[in-house]
Amino acid sequence: MKIVKEAIAGTLESSDLLVKVAPSDTREIVIKSEVFKQFGKQIARVVEETLDQLSVKAGSVVIEDKGALDCVIRARVQAATLRGSGSEDLDWRRLS
Amino acid sequence: MNAAGDFYDFHSVRPHEAPHEIEDVERLLAANNLELDSQIEIFVVCRQQGTVVACAGLDHCTIKCVAVAEHLRGEALSLRLGSEVVSLAAERGQFHLFLYSPPHNQSLFRGWGFYPLVEVPRQIVLMENSTVAIQRYCDRLREQRRPGATIGGIVLNANPFTLGHRYLVEQAATACDWIHLFLVREDASSISYADRFALVAAGVKDIDNLTLHQGSDYIISRATFPGYFLKDKALVDHSWAAIDLLLFREYIAPALGITHRYVGTEPFDLVTNSYNSEMRHWLQQPASPAPPIKVVEVPRVSIHGTPVSATEVRRLLAHRNFKAIEELVPATTMKFLEQDYPQIVQGA
Repeated sequence: MKIVKEAIAGTLESSDLLVKVAPSDTREIVIKSEVFKQFGKQIARVVEETLDQLSVKAGSVVIEDKGALDCVIRARVQAATLRGSGSEDLDWRRLS
Repeated sequence: MNAAGDFYDFHSVRPHEAPHEIEDVERLLAANNLELDSQIEIFVVCRQQGTVVACAGLDHCTIKCVAVAEHLRGEALSLRLGSEVVSLAAERGQFHLFLYSPPHNQSLFRGWGFYPLVEVPRQIVLMENSTVAIQRYCDRLREQRRPGATIGGIVLNANPFTLGHRYLVEQAATACDWIHLFLVREDASSISYADRFALVAAGVKDIDNLTLHQGSDYIISRATFPGYFLKDKALVDHSWAAIDLLLFREYIAPALGITHRYVGTEPFDLVTNSYNSEMRHWLQQPASPAPPIKVVEVPRVSIHGTPVSATEVRRLLAHRNFKAIEELVPATTMKFLEQDYPQIVQGA
């Protein structure tokens, strides 16, 4: 899946996160989190896995995390990526 | 979500379409020592039982006029407001956002995902919603770095490019090892950015120690124009110049190794004149941790006693006085004005 335009998903409220994606030549992930010290690595792993599942090889992904659970992180990253890919036909199996 | 959150009603308001709603917004702003900014295109307004309790305005890519009723602070309402305004901006195609804050409110906007760029001590902080955007911009600039002991920087609007601009660039190019010339990108002038850029490119083509750069949000742009929460109008202009100049000093100049900033003297235009004196303060004085940049004012060139200025060219253009214009602009600009003049007047 290719990120062809800028898009966002999520909110800045507690237990949620805001994900911004934008086109880029390489895959760059920037994570800001209120619980980065405790969970930074885990958040990064979830984001990487989610992008891998969607075969996102390039794109800038910026995350403003407010202590979201893994399932929320996955859902928001998926939503932002799908919006940014501008594609209509989804492979739902990849979103599990 | 807390229980009180259910009673918050968020909606967007275009100032021109709903003057009575804007009166409510103005009341909230006034209670927070803010004035309604006339540049705002759309507001996010939050009501609780009919009363406006929070608002945030959007002027292109800049968030302005943010206020939350005092009795509701500390209840996470601000984070909802932030989410709402960021998604509204996204719907309008704006993802890279700026925001001005008094220094003491910075932490609030950190919660919105905004990070400080430059600060005018005790007055304002310019923030953007990225930790990497300015660094990436500077990285791209660094690729254009040139060797030399004296590296000049010039910022022009060039609406349109005149022999006055040409003279300034020539003076700088003679005195410096290399010149970095930036063109203001904002399409707020009667001649479009693309046309202005083409005219400058044609006008400086023969100067071989010069790089012409695209403008950006970080150089004299709409985003670097604050002034909404400052009561004192004199302070507004002051801070506008300070923010723009500090961005130049702390990010752009170090990336390119710029040591001198060249500028034409401005005997007519008061705003530009005060900008030049601000420049001496914010670039040369120990007002910033970044190395100082020497400001060089080049006296404005006159032809047959007429000082050459773009303002004058535009005035003559309105009167179709091409004979007089011909003396003030290079041939490339002249050709453009003659060919495209009717379109420019329509667009002005």
